Amino acid sequence: MTGFQKKTKRFGSRDPLPWLAPALLVLAAFYAVPVLDVVRLAFSDATLFRPPSSYSLNSFVDVLTSSVLPDVLITTLVFTGLSVIALQCVGLTIALLLVRGERRHLPGMASFRTLVLAAWVVPGIANGLIWQMLFDEAPYGTLNSLLGSVGLGPIAWLSDPTMAMLSAVIANVWQGTAFSMIVFYAARKGVDEALYEVASVDGANGWDKFWAITVPQLRLAIAANSILVAVQTLNTFDSILALTGGGPGRATEVLALFTFNTVFYNLDLSGGSVLALVLFALGLGFATLVFGWLRRDST
Amino acid sequence: MIASKQARLGDAATYALLTLLGLFFVAPFMWLFSLSIRTPAEVFLGASRFIPEAPTLANFQGILSDPAFLTYLWNGLKLSVLGGGLAVTLAIPAAYSFSRLRWRGMSALLVAILAVQMISPLVLLVPLYQWLSALDLLNTQLTVIAIYGALGMPLAVWLLKVAFDAIPVEIEEAAHVDGATRWTVLIKLTLPLARPGIASAFILAVVMNWSQFLVPFILLERDSDWPISVAIFNFAGSTSASTTQVLAAACLIALIPAVTVFVLLQRMIVSALISGAVKG
Repeated sequence: MTGFQKKTKRFGSRDPLPWLAPALLVLAAFYAVPVLDVVRLAFSDATLFRPPSSYSLNSFVDVLTSSVLPDVLITTLVFTGLSVIALQCVGLTIALLLVRGERRHLPGMASFRTLVLAAWVVPGIANGLIWQMLFDEAPYGTLNSLLGSVGLGPIAWLSDPTMAMLSAVIANVWQGTAFSMIVFYAARKGVDEALYEVASVDGANGWDKFWAITVPQLRLAIAANSILVAVQTLNTFDSILALTGGGPGRATEVLALFTFNTVFYNLDLSGGSVLALVLFALGLGFATLVFGWLRRDST
Repeated sequence: MIASKQARLGDAATYALLTLLGLFFVAPFMWLFSLSIRTPAEVFLGASRFIPEAPTLANFQGILSDPAFLTYLWNGLKLSVLGGGLAVTLAIPAAYSFSRLRWRGMSALLVAILAVQMISPLVLLVPLYQWLSALDLLNTQLTVIAIYGALGMPLAVWLLKVAFDAIPVEIEEAAHVDGATRWTVLIKLTLPLARPGIASAFILAVVMNWSQFLVPFILLERDSDWPISVAIFNFAGSTSASTTQVLAAACLIALIPAVTVFVLLQRMIVSALISGAVKG
């Protein structure tokens, strides 16, 4: 028996249940039961204002064979894929620059970190509205009038389907980068500096060291961060709602926004439940994929 | 000599990259500010002038003298703070048992608490809306506070566990020898010692609640109940090009409280997040 166990035994009751009761109740009432209820509703014919009267596979068939779903899924994958790549590249770049700057005692690193964090806490709705002003396509719109003054543009930031997607990703990266920055900053701080010193002695340049030391050492952080960022992005829709409303057409209508519209505008609770399950499954599937890759990689 | 020259070149490159990235991150804030101090006529000048010819605070005055807008700010504050307080209160006993007691299934439950954060609030709200409607609990701020508490609890449990882990058990044992129960020790000793961690968890929860849109948008119909996030979204839907400057001022007011709190307390919050990230 270890010393620690002896101590805990000596020190009062070890029954965790009374301590856990509030948390367990919350987990049950606000997470477990709702998720199970989503499954039940997906098999039902419920609308937002009418409880289920019968159960069948109809909603699944309707939703999964609808002509809109493939478009929405492609939009979701493009938005999530681009965001995850961009968020991590920008976040990693900033984290490494900050670590380098701090090691060299360069001034201004703390204020830069603060700036990135400030964007992180901007409410999603405000984020969408701010970028909508920046992307405004009128002649006096910010970015277009700026481009115009150097003889470029105008760019159809929000009315062209491809540009609208890029604009949504840009707004998402502006807000979301801080999270990846913190994760990578913490992970990079945990890397043994001796590795870099040995590599320097061997004559490795910065680029070599990045691929030979930083990336392999941060592998776990990159994998975990990919999952977290992908799930966050999958669940994001308030900034898109404010920025484009899902348009033009359905060009930026990601699955979360589509689910929201299905339930709360079309009042189709059972169809929305099916979509919610798809959303849930996408996040879970991606997490499983990355974990599987990690496990195979580490054996 | 060569090494230091290289290092200085590296410094220059570091600053060059950070400047570019810094422009990207600072521009939206600057531009929002520039728009918010313009007259309607100057909005139409676009980017040709950054500082307007005749800067005006009229947009802010207009908004802040509107009682409805003050109500939205107050609602936002009330819902965020009470929801954050509830999240932390719910999390404290669980985090304490994760930190101090050893029991079977502990790590599984910790992972579960981490995992539920990945569930979109939207997925949870789909069934919750129906139940709340059946129980006649829609359109009350208490419901929104309860849901904020539930949504904020998992992260708070993690952050508080890390904070409690950092407090030596020996201190508590000394108190226990004197006959104090675990609850007394927790309240009198551990919680005060864990103040920075508790504050970080609370502030993070409050800031996240301040940004929440979906929950109040769906659950609160009366406009006197709305927090600021819902209000600016509805306001944006009713504005036109000639009121851009007012919308800019409203957005700025909506984000200033969260950004200010975060900037002032970021050292504490970020170190809590980093130690949470390392342990998790």
